[in-house]
Amino acid sequence: MSVAEVEDVGYAGENADAEERRRLERTWWSPKGLRGWLTDVDHKAIGKRYVGTALVFFALGGIEALLMRLQLARPEARLIGPDRYDQLFTVHGSTMMFLFAVPIMLGMGTYLVPLMIGTRNLAFPRLNAFSYWVYVAGGLLLYAGLFTNTGPDAGWFAYVPLSGPAFSPGKRVDIWAQMITFTEISSLAVAVNLITTIFKHRAPGMSLNRVPLFVWSQLVTSFMVVFAMPAVMLCSLMLALDRLVDTHFFNPSEGGDALLWQHLFWFFGHPEVYIIFIPALGMVSSIIAASTRREVFGYLPMVMSLVATGFIGFGLWVHHMFATGLPQLGASFFTAASLMIAIPSGTQIFCWLATLWGSRPRFTTPLLYVLGFFFVFVIGGLTGVMLGSVPLDLQVHDTFFVVAHFHYVLIGGAVFPLLGGLSFWLPKMTGRRLSERLGRLSFWLVFVGFNVTFFPMHQLGLQGMPRRVYTYLPETGWGDLNLLATIGAGILGLGVLVFVVNALQSLRHGEMAGDDPWGADTLEWSTSSPPPSYNFLRLPTVAGRYALWSRRDDQPEVTGLRSDRREMLVTNLLDAEPDHRDVLPGPTIWPFILACGVAMTFIYAIFNPWGFVVGAVPCAVALIAWFWPRGDMDRDVIMEKRS
Amino acid sequence: MSAIAEKPALDVSGLPTVADGPRAPLWWGVTGIMAIEGTMFAILVATYFYLRGAAVEWPPTGVRHPGLGITTLNLAILLASIVPMYLVARAAGRQDLKGIRLWLLVSTVLMVAFLAVRGFILTGLTFRWDSHAYGSVVWIAAALHTTHVLTGTGENLLFLALLLKGPVEDKHMVDLRLNSMYWYFVVLAWVVFYCIFFLDPGLLQVR
Ligand code: HEM
Repeated sequence: MSVAEVEDVGYAGENADAEERRRLERTWWSPKGLRGWLTDVDHKAIGKRYVGTALVFFALGGIEALLMRLQLARPEARLIGPDRYDQLFTVHGSTMMFLFAVPIMLGMGTYLVPLMIGTRNLAFPRLNAFSYWVYVAGGLLLYAGLFTNTGPDAGWFAYVPLSGPAFSPGKRVDIWAQMITFTEISSLAVAVNLITTIFKHRAPGMSLNRVPLFVWSQLVTSFMVVFAMPAVMLCSLMLALDRLVDTHFFNPSEGGDALLWQHLFWFFGHPEVYIIFIPALGMVSSIIAASTRREVFGYLPMVMSLVATGFIGFGLWVHHMFATGLPQLGASFFTAASLMIAIPSGTQIFCWLATLWGSRPRFTTPLLYVLGFFFVFVIGGLTGVMLGSVPLDLQVHDTFFVVAHFHYVLIGGAVFPLLGGLSFWLPKMTGRRLSERLGRLSFWLVFVGFNVTFFPMHQLGLQGMPRRVYTYLPETGWGDLNLLATIGAGILGLGVLVFVVNALQSLRHGEMAGDDPWGADTLEWSTSSPPPSYNFLRLPTVAGRYALWSRRDDQPEVTGLRSDRREMLVTNLLDAEPDHRDVLPGPTIWPFILACGVAMTFIYAIFNPWGFVVGAVPCAVALIAWFWPRGDMDRDVIMEKRS
Repeated sequence: MSAIAEKPALDVSGLPTVADGPRAPLWWGVTGIMAIEGTMFAILVATYFYLRGAAVEWPPTGVRHPGLGITTLNLAILLASIVPMYLVARAAGRQDLKGIRLWLLVSTVLMVAFLAVRGFILTGLTFRWDSHAYGSVVWIAAALHTTHVLTGTGENLLFLALLLKGPVEDKHMVDLRLNSMYWYFVVLAWVVFYCIFFLDPGLLQVR
């Protein structure tokens, strides 16, 4: 073959590639602007929106936290009255748990999972769009309440009887209950979507024992969502009905039971902590592998630990109720289970340490956050094991010791890895690198600020300062530590601000990231940054656990998927062997309309039970339109349309 | 010659574009919904027994059995609807549009009959949701389940309309089979609630 001929071949190949790209771009088009917001079904667009929206709620929750801290900075401050304070801690807790932590974790999954497993979109793109809008509706509802002085005020777990009709008249708790309904519908939809996508759309060769750890963590989380969230949907519905149509689920004088609420709520509430925490573990594994350029030590124990954490997470709910006078044996069982959870967490920490051991990791911002996570999380875990024992729990029940503990676990266990994960993946999402200098600065501010805020709270709790009080007397002597905590909160807030500035600035001035700025191992790094709407020109195949590191020179690529309609490759569950081709729908407005219908139904139902009936009409219309074939998918037709 | 030939390729163009059962992504979607709703129903059952265990008097005074005869009859109607739904699924497997239409119609008639009898039973109950916790549990279960039956009936009507009007695509056959699968789940859920509510020894004694 002469030189000229070779060049010719290369030219023709590039041409064919360019042609294929053009076709894919046309087929997998993503509408822009407002139209894009309302109709796009691309997992990357929706994932980014989830992350962005959740960050807005993080900021709002953070502002509420700062207001509370300002009020508590000195004894008998008069900044915020008791009623406002009740609304603030309730809305802060609810925002952080339901509108920030869970959605942002699932949002990262929405963005990353299809890329990591080498496919073009989630299995149910329209469901994905729908879930986002329902989530937004829940957030808007909560904040509409707060700004009209109707913010929920019964705590983020809304215990009855306080939250019942007798002690919480007005609409505050109803807003809370419906916000729960919205966010849970949304999370459940995402969970089913992720499970199906992970099971059915993995790249050929990515058998279950080669699935990246991050994807495993999303899978376990999704299963937990599926089995935990129905409990809270049901009990928030019961609460709403008790308040709206005088049912008696939680009313002891008519045969109901107040403790029933606690059982149902914590059956969800404890797994909830792991729903937030497990995806964070996946991020940690990704970052450690990329920073050390080593395979994470002990793939099997890592996966087993994730799965075990998922199971044990369901056995723990009663430990939130030690103070309710449970039977002795029951309490002992749950104490044992609470301590047992330390085993899989410990296993993972040791596996990560073993990976880091003797490696020469690059201490970039993401890794700093991971190391911060180790430090903070170990302290949180220690106080957790302390609280897991009944006598100590009874002693510090409802004090700031508990507040300190769960912020160590939640911020240490989820927010640190998340900030690390964002630093790690933002270059993929935007195509630009973040500044390392600002990244480090933000890390140290967050790390120092966090510990200065929350460490003193342990001491305050042991000294007896109760949680959920809007102020305290000077004689208690709690003033100094509280002031310290407030100063810490300011530093922490500054750190988050630096992070945001860094991210925004990178959009314009950041260095171009290239496909794989970290030399990482998973498939998302094999496509451009940001990825095209169709993710991969040709779907990849996989030969090992670390897809890019184990890629052979002659690693085959998938061909034969049609590019003139949205074809996705379906592979089988265990071995990811190609099975058939599925066709996905394109952009559509109906998921948005359905979300509006659902929002109308539940918001109307806050005021009037007929809302359920009236709201069914738009929902039904939207569902029919959603389902009715528009012919745009170009599927094989058995019977033509009749006129 | 194209670039595709330079790298070894895994050609999937020969693979089919529809598949049935657990091979189909939608099967997992529907199974996921069943897992979610199954969990919800299970928690409702647990709630029933939790309240029952804590109650001084179960069922509370004034509650009478709506009638073993009529409630069992309605269960029978519901169970019977499984047969045509199964036949719909079978016909869908053969792409037999006529058969699908026929059995969809039959099952929809049974569903409507079930709903009518259920309406009759509910209006005849001697208690309301706001009478006591017992009433609350029974009514919420009935309401949630009725919503499911209504949805199932609606889906059947939608499929009927589609099969009359078109266009019918190959994928709709999978949808129809999954629709039947989901219906079995709805029926099964009521078998459980029927046993719990209407065979409750406490309630049977009141009669
Ligand atoms: C960003 C810094 C944060 C600060 C300064 C902060 C501060 C506070 C304060 C002062 C309270 C109220 C304590 C009381 O009076 O009882 C509180 C409660 C709470 N926080 Fe945070 N918080 C922060 C972040 C978070 C995050 C990230 C989460 C969850 C992921 C979270 C979850 C909660 C929950 C669940 C409550 C309990 C609310 C209730 O009592 O109902 N917080 N936080």
